[in-house]
Amino acid sequence: MPDLARAVRPARIARVARVVRVDARRGSLLTAVPLLALLGAVAGWRELPAGFRDWDSVVGAAEASVRWSGPTAAGLAAWTGMSGRRLDYLRAITARSPAAAPLHDLALLSAVALAGYLAGALVVALPVLPDGGFRDAHLLGILAGAGALALYVAAGYLAGLSWAHPPVVALTVAAAAAWVALRPEGSWTVLLPPSLIGPADLFDAPRAGVLAAQLCWAGGLAAALVLGHLAWITRRRLLLGGVALALAATALSTARLHAADGVASRPSQVEHVCRHWPVSVCVHPSLAGALPALSAAVAPLATRLSGTPDAIVRIEQRSGREPASFDGGTVGFHLPDLSPGYARRAVHEIESTLTRCPAPPTGLQAQVSAWLRDDPVPARPDTPFSRWSERQRRAWFALRYSDFQSCSLTSVYYF
Amino acid sequence: MTVIVETSAIVARGLGVRHGGRWVLRPSSFGLPEGMVGIAGQDPSGRSDLLATLATLRRPHAGRLEVLGFDVRNRATLRRLRTRIGFLPARARWAAGFTVHDLVSYAAYYQRRSPSSVRDVLTALELSDAAAWPYGELPADLRVRAGLAAACVHRPQIAFLDEPLTLLGDAARAELVPLLAGLAPTVVLTAPSAAWLTPWCDHVYVLERARLVPAGETAPLAAPPARELPEPEPHHGHWHLVRRPQRMIRRPQNMNMVRRAAVP
Repeated sequence: MPDLARAVRPARIARVARVVRVDARRGSLLTAVPLLALLGAVAGWRELPAGFRDWDSVVGAAEASVRWSGPTAAGLAAWTGMSGRRLDYLRAITARSPAAAPLHDLALLSAVALAGYLAGALVVALPVLPDGGFRDAHLLGILAGAGALALYVAAGYLAGLSWAHPPVVALTVAAAAAWVALRPEGSWTVLLPPSLIGPADLFDAPRAGVLAAQLCWAGGLAAALVLGHLAWITRRRLLLGGVALALAATALSTARLHAADGVASRPSQVEHVCRHWPVSVCVHPSLAGALPALSAAVAPLATRLSGTPDAIVRIEQRSGREPASFDGGTVGFHLPDLSPGYARRAVHEIESTLTRCPAPPTGLQAQVSAWLRDDPVPARPDTPFSRWSERQRRAWFALRYSDFQSCSLTSVYYF
Repeated sequence: MTVIVETSAIVARGLGVRHGGRWVLRPSSFGLPEGMVGIAGQDPSGRSDLLATLATLRRPHAGRLEVLGFDVRNRATLRRLRTRIGFLPARARWAAGFTVHDLVSYAAYYQRRSPSSVRDVLTALELSDAAAWPYGELPADLRVRAGLAAACVHRPQIAFLDEPLTLLGDAARAELVPLLAGLAPTVVLTAPSAAWLTPWCDHVYVLERARLVPAGETAPLAAPPARELPEPEPHHGHWHLVRRPQRMIRRPQNMNMVRRAAVP
């Protein structure tokens, strides 16, 4: 306890704080925090699905932002390492351990990078903060992104320290960007941090095991790099044990990610939210705001199908893994996001499930399809259907539904 | 070849230094004595690389090197040795926005020295009034003094100074030399020409064609009888100039330097 009391004496803390401030000014690190935050927020915002937010998408966006802020942080770290070498006459010829200066720098760089990352993630997460629902898997996702960033910082700093020439900054940024750009799609390596997996299906939940393995992989590799460097400059063999442990953790995590085979999420049970008038429309809870527009868009189709064998009772959003289907009055459709025109796209998809046409419909078939979708009915060919009233069309359609369903409507025989 | 004697501050046995694929110093054995030692050499002789090696910033490529009796290859004692070394490179790097006080405090932190050491060294090098000035905006002579303050805030036993006089005019150089002499019991400094060093160094060597030889125009001064040497000053309390018998200092052009050197 006396040692601890000595360590936290105000004068000692003040001296450390002065050195930290000087180091922060040396690398312009304080200005890097808002830069990284802005970069992370913009990159994360671009990854968000259109029209809605939930914690799954926010965490995915934060992880994705590391693809942009990571190379920037690596370049900043390389610059700091390079400029640190220029002060070797003060920091290497020292009464302190040779590890003191690099650990100072790494702690400062990590704090700056993580502050920028969390600030950017907070900006992206602001709309969902009041909603609650933050789970352990979300925390793991945030930490996995932070771990990837820490790895970029460690690798960049050691690169600048090892080759203290100005081109090292550009080379480090290029190498970090290549790590993101050159991993082949569809291979298991897309799961290595920073993950290259796109937005997950709404009906999937992130696999906590994969997120934990990503965090362990990035943290283990960063620890191995740092401990290896410290072992080299201090010649303390004990640190090699730490390097071995860190590399073992990295190897185990690599095996875990390899076994995941590029799949970062799993199906989850979701309770739909529904609106029951004029027809039952049920969607994922995150898209509840779309119910009024969807109900209004689907109502004409549902009305025109009433009296036919495929009268609609319920319209239900399905996972992207399941096909759109029509089964006993329940229609399944897909709604990945709320980008402009989502309601029209949903109606088009539902209408397309009613028939099994091998080719796009033409002639009368096309006119009936357009009518069902509530699109303008084509004027050509000139058929009575194109000139009838709504009541006439509905009565005729109910009689000819089976021909419509088998794509065999032609103008010649039905008028 | 210089002789290794018991009072040699630096002992090299088969020491070889390389840079850029060529020998800066071919493997050779020599001893550098205590006092003011100058190493001259025209560019690109590699004197900066040699100095950095002697200061333990670089590993020798061949042979053994002992500084102040410590073998630089021994990691266990290297840290202790480095607490006794001060080093100022030729183009001392500073950080944007460092003030003089920041720079010296930064150095004091890494040398585990108290804030009072910072004040003492700034006073000794007449930098108290300039402590709040940005390092990068100082004139050349004050910048050298600030670098010296940072490199020697911990009162080393041996100071390695790479071309501290190069960017200075004659007057500034003459003012600075007595301060250099007081930095440490042994000061090793470099310069492009031996003529810059012979007026005030006890021993001058020339690094030429990867060999370190005594300067031809300056024979090493005989060491004075032991009884005439001043008592070693204790390294605590206040900074002060190390007193040297006047005949150990070459008569300078400017007598003012002698008067300053004589002032405690």
